[in-house]
Amino acid sequence: MSTQQPLIFSEIDEPGLNTIDVYKRRGGYGERLRKALTMPPEALVEELKASGLRGRGGAGFSMGMKASFIPKGAMDKYLVCNADESEPGTFKDRELMQKIPHLLIEGMIIAAYAAGANRAFIFIRGEYVQQADILDAAVAEAYDAGLLGENILGNNFDLSLAVHRGAGAYICGEETGLLDSLEGKRGNPRLKPPFPANQGLYQGPTLINNVETLATVPLIVEMGGAEYAKIGAEGSTGTKLISISGNVQRPGNYEIELGMSSRDIIYGLAGGPGEGREIKLWFPGGSSSPVLTKDDLDLPYDFNTLAKAGSMLGSGAIIVVDDTNSVVDVCLWLAEFYRHESCGKCTPCREGTNWTVKMLERIQSGLATPMDLDIMASVQEQIIGNCLCVLGDAMAMPVGSMVAKFRDEFEAHIEAARAANLETVGDEPAPELALLQGAVL
Amino acid sequence: MASMDVKRFSHGSRVPGWDDSVDLSKDPQEVPDPATTPVPAELRATIEAHIAKYPDRRSAAIPALAAAQELHGWCSPEAFIQVACVMRLTPAYLIAVASFYDMLDTRPLGHKRVYVCTNISCSLRGGRKLLAELSEAIGDDPDVQVRGFECLGACDIAPMASIDGVFVGPIEDGEVAELAQQVRDGADPLPAKQLLKRPSADPHANTRAPQEGTE
Amino acid sequence: MVTFSIDGREVTAPENIMLVDGAKYGDVEIPVFCYEPKLGQPVGACRMCLVEIEGIPKLQTGCSTPVKDGMVVHTQTDRVKTAQQAVVEFLLINHPLDCPVCDKGGECPLQDISFGWGGGRSRFIEPKRHFEKPLELSPLVAIDRERCILCYRCVRFSQEISEDYQLVFQERGAHTFVGTFDGHPYVAPFSGNIIELCPVGALTSQPYRFRARPWDIEGAGGVCTLCPGQCNVTFTVRDERVLRVLGRDNAEVDDGWLCDRGRFGYQAIHVDERITHPMVRDGGELRPVSWDRALDDAAAALRRAGGKVGVLAGGGTSNEEGFLLQKIVRDGLGTNDLDSRVFDSGDRDATLALHDPALQATVADLEFAHTVLVLGVEPVDDMPILDLRIRKGVRRHRVNLAIATARPSSLDANAKQVVRFAPGDEARAAALIAGALSSAGSDVPDELAELVAQLRDGGEDVVILYGERVLADPAGAAALVAIADALNLRGRDGAGLLGVPSTANARGLREAGVLPFSGPGLAPVDRPGRSTSEIAGAAAAGELAALWLVGTDPLETHPERSTWAAGLERASTVIAHAGYLTAGVLEHATIVFPTESHAEHEGTIVHPDGRVQRLRQAIARPGEVRAGWWILSELAKRLDVDLRVLTGPMASSQLFAAVPFYAGLSLDAIGGKGLRWPAGASAAAAWPAVTAPGAPEVPAPAAEVEDGRLRLGTYRSIWAGPEVAASPALQFLRARTRVELSPHDAQRLDLFDGDKVTVGDGRGGVVRATASVRAAIPAGSAFVEGNGVAGPLVDVRKRPATEPADPEPVALS
Ligand SMILES: Cc1cc2nc3c(=O)[nH]c(=O)nc-3n(C[C@H](O)[C@H](O)[C@H](O)COP(=O)(O)O)c2cc1C
Ligand code: SF4
Ligand code: FES
Repeated sequence: MSTQQPLIFSEIDEPGLNTIDVYKRRGGYGERLRKALTMPPEALVEELKASGLRGRGGAGFSMGMKASFIPKGAMDKYLVCNADESEPGTFKDRELMQKIPHLLIEGMIIAAYAAGANRAFIFIRGEYVQQADILDAAVAEAYDAGLLGENILGNNFDLSLAVHRGAGAYICGEETGLLDSLEGKRGNPRLKPPFPANQGLYQGPTLINNVETLATVPLIVEMGGAEYAKIGAEGSTGTKLISISGNVQRPGNYEIELGMSSRDIIYGLAGGPGEGREIKLWFPGGSSSPVLTKDDLDLPYDFNTLAKAGSMLGSGAIIVVDDTNSVVDVCLWLAEFYRHESCGKCTPCREGTNWTVKMLERIQSGLATPMDLDIMASVQEQIIGNCLCVLGDAMAMPVGSMVAKFRDEFEAHIEAARAANLETVGDEPAPELALLQGAVL
Repeated sequence: MASMDVKRFSHGSRVPGWDDSVDLSKDPQEVPDPATTPVPAELRATIEAHIAKYPDRRSAAIPALAAAQELHGWCSPEAFIQVACVMRLTPAYLIAVASFYDMLDTRPLGHKRVYVCTNISCSLRGGRKLLAELSEAIGDDPDVQVRGFECLGACDIAPMASIDGVFVGPIEDGEVAELAQQVRDGADPLPAKQLLKRPSADPHANTRAPQEGTE
Repeated sequence: MVTFSIDGREVTAPENIMLVDGAKYGDVEIPVFCYEPKLGQPVGACRMCLVEIEGIPKLQTGCSTPVKDGMVVHTQTDRVKTAQQAVVEFLLINHPLDCPVCDKGGECPLQDISFGWGGGRSRFIEPKRHFEKPLELSPLVAIDRERCILCYRCVRFSQEISEDYQLVFQERGAHTFVGTFDGHPYVAPFSGNIIELCPVGALTSQPYRFRARPWDIEGAGGVCTLCPGQCNVTFTVRDERVLRVLGRDNAEVDDGWLCDRGRFGYQAIHVDERITHPMVRDGGELRPVSWDRALDDAAAALRRAGGKVGVLAGGGTSNEEGFLLQKIVRDGLGTNDLDSRVFDSGDRDATLALHDPALQATVADLEFAHTVLVLGVEPVDDMPILDLRIRKGVRRHRVNLAIATARPSSLDANAKQVVRFAPGDEARAAALIAGALSSAGSDVPDELAELVAQLRDGGEDVVILYGERVLADPAGAAALVAIADALNLRGRDGAGLLGVPSTANARGLREAGVLPFSGPGLAPVDRPGRSTSEIAGAAAAGELAALWLVGTDPLETHPERSTWAAGLERASTVIAHAGYLTAGVLEHATIVFPTESHAEHEGTIVHPDGRVQRLRQAIARPGEVRAGWWILSELAKRLDVDLRVLTGPMASSQLFAAVPFYAGLSLDAIGGKGLRWPAGASAAAAWPAVTAPGAPEVPAPAAEVEDGRLRLGTYRSIWAGPEVAASPALQFLRARTRVELSPHDAQRLDLFDGDKVTVGDGRGGVVRATASVRAAIPAGSAFVEGNGVAGPLVDVRKRPATEPADPEPVALS
């Protein structure tokens, strides 16, 4: 187990840490902010690049690189914090915003300065009512303290920051869906290119980052990019907030050093599944990541290793499913979620998620044959890579991986459920069943 | 067959709205004219304050609709028309937006909102059972909507529910009746189980003894 | 130009066009559903156009990827084919495949693409979803939601082209559906375009449903002459009946769109109300007679009148008809009392100056100018198609739009500067602007300061779109020319003046000589005759024995309705060329000649921007209807004028020869898209010499409001006119009589929205109307549709509750 002490979560439950006074007493908005705002923005971007910080929202793209894509010159530029946190299994940003909101605000001041943005928004999911209230209060405190508004700390840098509450749609976590939603439209993703760095919010260059990514920025400024890069693993620097949930004994958020063994996280920190149970499968990076099995538990938990293993680190949310659960159920729950959340803009995702759910329902209720599994696998392949954004892929990849890795269990379930059906209905199948089976067989 | 639960048109297809024709006796609905559209002063002020936060007034659509929903209990046609009038948009623009989002109700479902998470992590810990039991315990109350919801971002307290924005969990079997009563009464839901009071799970996060609460 | 490779072929195509368009240069078709460049930026929703581009790992959407030099594209690889088949399979899983009973069958992109790029099989065995269908989306459009593939075209049209924002997607994901707010119908001036846009049978035309299959019909190119917009159309013809009107894209005229009046007005061609026989009034009633009888009677009456004839030509009249008409009137009747205008819009000098080719802006200029000033005109009512063009310019090319009108405009929300003045002050406003521009900014009235600054400093390309109301005072024309000169618009490409006349072929008739003061080619005449309003006055005073109304009914369209009513009453002969028995024809005409509809008409007309367009006959003339030139030549014979016209084209040739600036024109040269001044500079040189009008005098402001009366502004709705009233499909849109009031005046008069009122001008003009209280109406003004009351001041009174209910609007007999 690593010896790295938490950076973000250090003394996280200190009473009053969500207020500016306690936060300042602990060094917040202090030397590091002053230092950042007197550096040339380009140097700040270089520092971020040097830190190796990769986005904590899902895609894992280098934060410094993304900031460097923002065009220079006088124009309306924006910084947007992605606090939509809707990826199933992910709840780290919630705890961060609730307990240490000023760290995020400080990070946004620095990131906005680096990107040359004078307007910033925090897009927080509407379900986080209490967290949004806390943020609102923190933003008001920051304004009162002159940390937001005009001429911040006398450095001739202006920044306005508003908290924007969403209204319940997973797709608004996708960065371009978020932008449309923030512009007051339906949260449909946009065609890329143009990328937000060139044409984002209100058509202006826009830097979008996750809450955790932005909250890490002040820490990087404080310790220096090179120093930060020493933490973690090759290609995955720093610490990461991990949300662990599902069949573990101590679900919750943990700040780990990247590269830690997955087994240590799941068993060591979270206590593993209950007495006498075994892990059947686990999602390493939110429900959108292809599933891994108990054979993969010794993988170091970092971006590159998980990618090599055919999955991804994603948002850093580990969902553990133990052997008392049916993979068919999990697969159906998962597909239902994506069908519900598909925005409906592009064909493969809208129709593919809908079709997949219908097939899974049939599989679950015993009205399917193994051939349906082939069709289902093929439908997933037809979705992957053909959609407008990656929400479709986010269903197709884990579903595909479950069908591939647990095909035997699917087939056994189909067989058993079919037998059970025949028993209950006897010789004379009900007309509806006959119709469906006629079609299937 | 019901036991087999083969839903034919019940989902993914039978959506309210799909079978609706327009009413040809109505006029087309354009941007409501302020001269003939009364808007409660407080709502107008709230919406205008939201509009002021953004470079483009349309950005205020969701906050404005949320404010109208708070006032009317749901996004009723009247609510849409009021928001449309202040924002100088068509009500159709707003219903396109509202119907996209899960938290804005375009049908009257009850102004007390109980969302029970039924996503994977909660389902693995009894979320679906909780939804069934809580719906049953609350019963038919026109003021309350109990609804299965996608991951609410609180899998650490699974199985959980959001009671008008207050996250509570893990909700144990024995607590369902008590919670149902609190919902009906509008009382503080399961105070001991509220997420805000929960310390971090990470043993390294606090070197001092974990404190109760952060507020 | 760039060169790229597609399926192994080297192709050269213009830079920056999208791959789906670039591919066509190599004869490669990439299938699309959602891509429609007319709708703006691609959305990339349907995923039908996926192609493989070397060097990019993922398949790319051809609709949104611009071609680049050296790009290597594949559309025939297994990967691409699999993806295309996948998208077709996905699209069809919930599509009902009810092609045998679908109106779109045979002309359906979904059918074609399924056949061409689909896998020909489906593995979807779940029950398909089924819904009630078809449902009404409006009286004009039916919606079949089972068939919808959610391609975004219709909703993008509503939101980004017409900007009416009434048709939207609701819900999300597989639940998404196209609909309106709370069951309101989708009724808007341009709603019919969504039918043409829909690539499946989800949106169909209610009037066209089940009338024909694609193999039963023929398309005939034509031009819509229901307004000055003159949009290019294709008539769908089956068995000599027009069954449908589609757009015939012409970027210089209509940009590919049509308004609903143009799209559905064809229905009025085939109705019983249409006049299809010559008629003569006999015992107080109009009775059908033979052509000979009607022509003889008309000729005799005209002879009898001995020169005391007033002649009006309406906007549906072709150039050729106008040309022949003026010849008969001048040579045969010996009078110049002839006009084609609704307002007296200035003398010959003013007309020449305003129509000078060097000052003409084009329709396309509205889209690319730096600044567009809309002065005293409401595009959506007066020339609807321009409304879309102006919106497009503002949305896509950031045109600065300035509006200066009396009545609130539907474009106000898109404008940067909005100036309101009192109705009647149009010319005054123009003169004030001209003054401010020329006096180098010294005494600019406050309200105009921003507008004037924009005109002066907002970029050189300024287009001034003005309505005929500006010309009601002679100062208006002078002011417009002064503005143009102050801004150096003369001779500048992409800038200038664009006048919106009150009738469709107004410009052509002026050029053909239907003016009291000028003949063909705007050549001066010796003794200028009476203008429109003078004809009205003379007729009312009993000075004219006959009125000859060619395709116009002043009781429907002209100001000073009561003067006209008196004049028509006093004239002993009223000859009307008419398509419908409108009020003036029904009550006053003594001889009626049936006229052609715009689908039967042949000849030429001139667009307000100078473009000569050709009308072609699409269907046979019904009943006894004859060509307009034939009627005139027969009359001429009887009046001993030799027109030497035996065919329509002979009339055209005479016209082209008679008008110097038509040099080089021929029917062939005009072709399908029209032509502006074909001989270029030399033709412009053929423009008669223009005497520049002097600096405009600023007219006095409109009458002060007094005694609780209101200043009257009138307008003509897009839904006014016999084509709308007689078209079964459009009848529901007939302009309702409403009086628009400010909240301030409504309160003062104790009126509420929806109250029944009477509006009276104290000089005999009274209309019954419904009060419509609108926040945007300036206090002190009231606006009424049509010409029922005349200004300047009117009384608006609540009708006593005891008064009988409104009579049903009188249907055309
Ligand atoms: C369907 C979908 C949902 C997403 N949801 C979130 C989210 O809830 N929070 C988030 O930070 N990023 C989310 N992302 C990733 C964002 O698109 C984007 O990559 C991220 O905000 C960039 O920030 P980062 O570079 O700091 O990670 C989502 C992406 C997809 C495709
Ligand atoms: S109705 Fe037609 S145009 Fe509109 S989204 Fe559906 S398929 Fe496209
Ligand atoms: S045509 Fe390219 S995605 Fe629809």
